[in-house]
Amino acid sequence: MDISVKNISFSIKNTVILSDISASIASMECVGIVGPNGSGKSTLLKCIYRVLQPDAGEIFFDGSNIKNMTLKESARAVSVMAQDNSYAFDFLVEDIVLLGRTPYKKMLQFDNEADYKIVKNALKTVGLAGFEKRNFSAISGGEKQRVILARALAQNTSCLIMDEPTNHLDIKYQMQTMEIVKKHKFTSIIAIHDLNIAALYCDRIIALKDGQIVGNDVPEKLLTPEFIYYLYEVLSEVHMNKKTGKVNIIYMPSDSNICK
Amino acid sequence: MKKLNSYSWVMIFTGILLAEIFFALGMGSVKLSGNEIYETLFQGIQSNMPVTAPRQGPVHDIVWLLRFPRLLLAAATGAGLAVCGTVIQAVVKNPLADPYILGISSGASLGAVLSIFLGAGIFFGPDFIGICSFAGAFSISLLVLIISQMDGKPDTTKLLLTGMAVNMACSSISSFIVYFANDKDGIQTILFWLMGSFAGAQWSTLQIIIPVVCFGIIFFWTQNRTLDIMLLGDHTAVTLGTDLSKYRHVYLLMSAFIVGFLVYSAGMIGFVGLIIPHIVRIFTGTGHRYLLPLAALLGAVLLVAADVISRILITGTDIPVGIIVSLLGAPGFVFLTAKKSYSFGGKN
Repeated sequence: MDISVKNISFSIKNTVILSDISASIASMECVGIVGPNGSGKSTLLKCIYRVLQPDAGEIFFDGSNIKNMTLKESARAVSVMAQDNSYAFDFLVEDIVLLGRTPYKKMLQFDNEADYKIVKNALKTVGLAGFEKRNFSAISGGEKQRVILARALAQNTSCLIMDEPTNHLDIKYQMQTMEIVKKHKFTSIIAIHDLNIAALYCDRIIALKDGQIVGNDVPEKLLTPEFIYYLYEVLSEVHMNKKTGKVNIIYMPSDSNICK
Repeated sequence: MKKLNSYSWVMIFTGILLAEIFFALGMGSVKLSGNEIYETLFQGIQSNMPVTAPRQGPVHDIVWLLRFPRLLLAAATGAGLAVCGTVIQAVVKNPLADPYILGISSGASLGAVLSIFLGAGIFFGPDFIGICSFAGAFSISLLVLIISQMDGKPDTTKLLLTGMAVNMACSSISSFIVYFANDKDGIQTILFWLMGSFAGAQWSTLQIIIPVVCFGIIFFWTQNRTLDIMLLGDHTAVTLGTDLSKYRHVYLLMSAFIVGFLVYSAGMIGFVGLIIPHIVRIFTGTGHRYLLPLAALLGAVLLVAADVISRILITGTDIPVGIIVSLLGAPGFVFLTAKKSYSFGGKN
């Protein structure tokens, strides 16, 4: 599924959060969204996954305007792994993942064998086989993230939107998460802070600053020391890795005496 | 004790409830044997006369006119309060919420106070206190809903806070009236109302209460998936294809309606709607598919037991059932939470 965003603007009271954003994501493309805190990454994603209504502009899934789709229809197309995943009541892990089947259910339909099988496989994929009957409140932050990823997998969509999915994850699961996304050939939009992970796995990177797109290119071309300084005001060195063919970013202290 | 045997839990509790009602029919100032109860029940069902017809013998009157309606009202009230409590906790996403949180309690007592002390609604006939408290409960919860929606953004915290504020306002109006009325009998009546009682149970009211409660339980049970999603919050709900705001209104109005009826027939009974959902969650988890029917059954079992105790503890005196419920329930609940690892908030 391809996604296109046309001239999206969003503001809260008088503060402009997004101004005139346009971008398109091809089918099965993995696009990273980078930018400093408060640059509008989450807001852009929320507009796409319909939690926020943009003030102006339109969003299309496979050419059809999402304004004309029911929430159920869009939930069958796009699954979401959001930032905040703490719940006021305690659930079994299995119950949370099962809720990923909701967009396929009518009012009186219960979960059947097939749903439980999907849940089991999804938990296996994220490395949480056997966690079905554990309490969600009693597992670690990283495990919670992966439960939410499993729910997104159980939703069986062709597109996955992730808002800082690698927070709370150790390096093994950061890479595993990104590799799951790549293996499933999702059309994916991922807000991400770790530029090295973005450079390694994303086909393309869109950079946001102050609610505007300031860069949109393949990682090797976009991520230069100059651009990283422009975006984050940090010094860095960028090297091409011969084995992966991707860039490695090494951050430099602002004053070389600090680290001595 | 998780999902797989939840069906058997439902069967077990249904059995317990039926047995409990059966034996409770024999308890009281006149003790009846199992045989007598069985025969009287059987005759009453077989007989062509309505059960309320006069001159069918003292045992018939004790079973069919005094005890059975009370027990059915207790069961219906327990089931209704427990289910509404579960639903309200999901709607406001707060484990401390109970069915009375949306101003229903203070609305009901304000209605009762107005009718007892100022004679409001006296033209409704002998039931006017109940009718006034139903009206008070329902209109105050509507008011809370409307106030909390005024800026157009759904927010469960605001709903809770509005409920509390309106509760305060209503109870101070009630206190004001009670304080200045200086009417000892009125105070006695209002106390009785606020502590809850099944003494006023009649077949004519049960004909309305039981269908209302049953319909409510079945309706909410069909909504189990949406109730689950409510606990995940509005944003997650949208990504799962559900817009919660419209459901929230329907559920709140349904609960207010059911609780209003319960207040009308049995007064205010605390504790059940707050604690029963938590007790059941200890055993079944948070999934509403099993939580709702089990909460209904356990609520019914608890209130039937409380009613029996309130009748037999002191001979010749009806202790207000609300007192018994809290005395019985609180230690039991504390014991359960101490023994089981149960986290109310999930954020520990």
